[in-house]
Amino acid sequence: MDQFLQYIITGLSIGMVYALIALGFVLIWKSSSVANLALGQIVLLSSWFAYSMLAQANLPPYIALPIVVIFALCLGWVIERFALRPLIAQPILSLIAVTLGIGYFIEGIITFIWPWSVDALPRLFPTDVVHIGPAVISQQYLWVIGICLLVFVLLTLFFRYHKMGVAMRATADDQMAVQACGIPVTRVFSTSWMLACVVAAVGGVLISSIGGITHGLVDTGLKAFSVVILGGLDSFVGALIAGPIIGLLETFAGGYLTAYTWGGIRDVVPFIIIIIVMVIKPFGLFGEKRIERI
Amino acid sequence: MSLPCGTRNYNYAQDMAIFRTRTHWVLLIGFLAVLFTVPPLVFNHLWLNTVNSIGITLIAALGLNILVGYCGQLSIGHAGFIAVGAYTSAILTNRFDMPFLVGLISAGLVAGVVGIIFGLPSVRVKGFYLAITTIAAQFIIIWVINHWGLTGGFEGISVPYASIGGLVFDSDVKQFYLVMVIVALAVFFAKNLTRTKVGRAFIAIRDNDLAAEVMGINVNYYKLLAFFIGCFFAGIAGALLAHTTYTLTAEQFSFTDSILYIGMIIIGGLGTTIGPILGVVFIKITQKVLLPIYLVPFLERTFTNFPAGFATGVAPMVFGLIIVLFLILEPRGLAHRWNLFKAAYRLWPFSY
Amino acid sequence: MKNKTLLIINTIVCLALLTFMVPFLSGCGPAEHPGLTLKVGIMTPTTGPAAEKGVPLRDANLDCIQYINDELGGVNGYKIEAINLDSRYNADQAVTNINQFMDEGCLFFTTSSSAEMSYVQEIANRLGFPGLVAYSSPNNYHPPQHVYGQMPDYGDDWTAFTKYYLENIWQGTGKPKMALMVLNNSTGAGAKNAARAMADTLGVEIIATEEHAATTLSETVALSRIMALNPDVIYISSTPKPAALIISEAKDLGMYPDVTIGVCHAAMTSKLVELGGADIVEGVYGVFPTISWNDDVPGVAKMKEYAAALHPSDVNNGDYIAAWAQSLIIAEILKKTLDAVGYDVLASGDATAWAAIEQYGFQGLDGYDVGGLQSAVKYVSGDNRLGKSLRINRVTNGVITAITDWVEAPLIRYEDYDWFGH
Repeated sequence: MDQFLQYIITGLSIGMVYALIALGFVLIWKSSSVANLALGQIVLLSSWFAYSMLAQANLPPYIALPIVVIFALCLGWVIERFALRPLIAQPILSLIAVTLGIGYFIEGIITFIWPWSVDALPRLFPTDVVHIGPAVISQQYLWVIGICLLVFVLLTLFFRYHKMGVAMRATADDQMAVQACGIPVTRVFSTSWMLACVVAAVGGVLISSIGGITHGLVDTGLKAFSVVILGGLDSFVGALIAGPIIGLLETFAGGYLTAYTWGGIRDVVPFIIIIIVMVIKPFGLFGEKRIERI
Repeated sequence: MSLPCGTRNYNYAQDMAIFRTRTHWVLLIGFLAVLFTVPPLVFNHLWLNTVNSIGITLIAALGLNILVGYCGQLSIGHAGFIAVGAYTSAILTNRFDMPFLVGLISAGLVAGVVGIIFGLPSVRVKGFYLAITTIAAQFIIIWVINHWGLTGGFEGISVPYASIGGLVFDSDVKQFYLVMVIVALAVFFAKNLTRTKVGRAFIAIRDNDLAAEVMGINVNYYKLLAFFIGCFFAGIAGALLAHTTYTLTAEQFSFTDSILYIGMIIIGGLGTTIGPILGVVFIKITQKVLLPIYLVPFLERTFTNFPAGFATGVAPMVFGLIIVLFLILEPRGLAHRWNLFKAAYRLWPFSY
Repeated sequence: MKNKTLLIINTIVCLALLTFMVPFLSGCGPAEHPGLTLKVGIMTPTTGPAAEKGVPLRDANLDCIQYINDELGGVNGYKIEAINLDSRYNADQAVTNINQFMDEGCLFFTTSSSAEMSYVQEIANRLGFPGLVAYSSPNNYHPPQHVYGQMPDYGDDWTAFTKYYLENIWQGTGKPKMALMVLNNSTGAGAKNAARAMADTLGVEIIATEEHAATTLSETVALSRIMALNPDVIYISSTPKPAALIISEAKDLGMYPDVTIGVCHAAMTSKLVELGGADIVEGVYGVFPTISWNDDVPGVAKMKEYAAALHPSDVNNGDYIAAWAQSLIIAEILKKTLDAVGYDVLASGDATAWAAIEQYGFQGLDGYDVGGLQSAVKYVSGDNRLGKSLRINRVTNGVITAITDWVEAPLIRYEDYDWFGH
């Protein structure tokens, strides 16, 4: 039973990682109603770029990390400008397919530039363990949780008070009214993509510093979709709460159910949750119900 | 469709006909004759393998086209349904010693039923939500395949040769005939579907499902039927895949393959029958012939100072880029270009 | 006029005669057979997910064949023509490749990994086309047909490590408790099956088997479950990245170094030390079926020379040794067959040639030492593993060093168990 506490802590920390990636997704959905299925690949690309800066070019972290942020900004701008701007009013299949195509393209670029499939980032955080009762947690996870909460707070404040954040919320609500008010909608889209890529980059660097860079980051990106579905597609609070929930469910399934079902159930639990949520409450815990009118 | 100048339709049969003029029939019979005689004689193993693969992928792509192109239900988990069909056929022929035809039809039926089960959310949600559900379906199916003892777990399962009556399909050439016959049937079925009530209901649902419901179409029934038909095709394709590659492992049915299927039907042209054909041929030839034999070794030889294996990334880059470019520049796909070409040919020298 | 015609005719006839005579005049050295080659198909995962192993494997295969052709004059005077195709670690491509090998008249084929072989073993077995696989897994050749393993497989890794542990490390009474952490593919399945077959015979108790994916971010959950059961030893059958992760988390949880940890040969490479950190993986045991670059055996010098000259980036790469050894074995197989039946049987490159290769080549191997690079290869009826011994290694001061000599892993007849293959 003392495993219970360990499971809780591990689950929460993994869940916060998912929540961080999910925030990037919600950002884009909230402002432009585009589902970014290339999220996992963007996370992986940012991690590899960070690896390039830190390990290959040997820059110290306080120079390399801002460069990674700038890279993520450029990446977001490029994707939005060249792949999504031409498709603004297209049906949703085209938008989803184009993000799939971009994701695939980014995977190709990653294999092209860094063909060896795994590597490790230099340690960014101290790795000593902190003992909480009988359970241990690595300090890295505490840093991840802290940074994730910080990003969440910053994003919420941005959306509430900053001019561009308010413009984004307005665009998500009614694009034509926003254009009538004179807000450049294209600039809103650009900014949302750039910010989303920065959030994804931060998430990627955090995760890779713990577990190294592998193709599994793409799978983690896919699991982040389950966080988004559970929490509601357009809610930051939802992502933040659903993340740890999914992390906990995953850990408990791994801990307790593995004995009764086949192995590896830990990896498939987020997808089962997606199906369950779809059937019971498609818009998630905190999502806004969309009422469709002809 | 645009008809040659001077062709008039005097009754419904003529109006609905797929092959209307004598030229159409001559071309069709000529093409079939060439298709069934030339490749086995002329092609070597590599090309026969490619053509077989094109045929199998085409069946699956036709199914996906019915689901996504005609009915508008987004499904990005097609590789999972193909896997269901493949493993059903493998298990029935390997473990239970059933004849190949029983395995084939059961593969289609089981895949169709699994498709209906995972398509149930489609009666409640659509668009991105449905896409995510199908992605989840793919991963769950792969997990089940990897862990169930009946499917051989991680070591895979071996598949005996396909055999109908006493005829055993153990070589490329014989499998070519088997695949092509089934492809011809599948293409005919898919093309015919648009002329029937079911096809018209699908198109109505795609265009505006609320309006379709208002008009009296049983939207739920037809959505599930679309899933069933699409996954039935996928199951048949999977069974053929099992019997031409003789071993199955779950790694052959990855998420990347699902993305590629969506890419194939988008590049080919959604909602047409010639679309999947063009898309599949284009992508499969690029994937199996152009890239591995010409481009990748060329790159590896020219840029030897790059890290090893870098040219592997070229394939995803090329396909991703093609998908994006087609969506931006030619959203109606190669089928649209083909139609324009046909129209220009008919109207020459007045083509515009 | 007449003279000129005669002159022209004479010139033409003489030139024709000379052209015909040239081939016969040029073969004046030791019995060389220019133009007559022995074709072997070599499949490597040079691009794709396993490219970082596939490239050194291909380099070593081809470098060694070049060495045999150039310096040793081929096999009995016949040059080896290696047809190297890239499998891209992909089932479709592997099937295409084996068809191409058979088309081109190859006498037998080789693959680098168990996954590639598992894609094509059905075809090979049904048609009788013999194959040799470097890094094998039990399902490649149980039941034994036309596929042979160059080195011991993942199941043998487990058996050898367990035997070593019982004899040298275990000091308690009764049965030690072992936990298995296996990768979710044939690498892990090999160890799992061996444990299932042999745990009782050897005298260990398997208390838990935990599976993980190659891309896992954290195995703390699995390790906590294992910790609750008080294991004495943990065996990890996986690739370097997850193994490094597991070891470092075991250390975090305080399990290591109290519990002994052993890894399979896929993980016991310098990558493990690099990814995990030398301080974390210090003292970990593992098995490996070939020597390492620093060992002093007869075959190493030539290998080092060619690697340094042709592919300097592959120097110190463990996979290079395995593929170099594979090419040496290829040459030995061809030699044994040529000695027994001569070239004419092999010239056809069809099923009779394949049968001869298998009977006299593969099954005629009789203790060839492969230059000391791996354990001696010898065929014993009913056991398609050609090399049967491994060495136990340990990470000492950040370097993987061997602590035993060649230990033979006994044959496990998996096909006798009804749970195998189901």
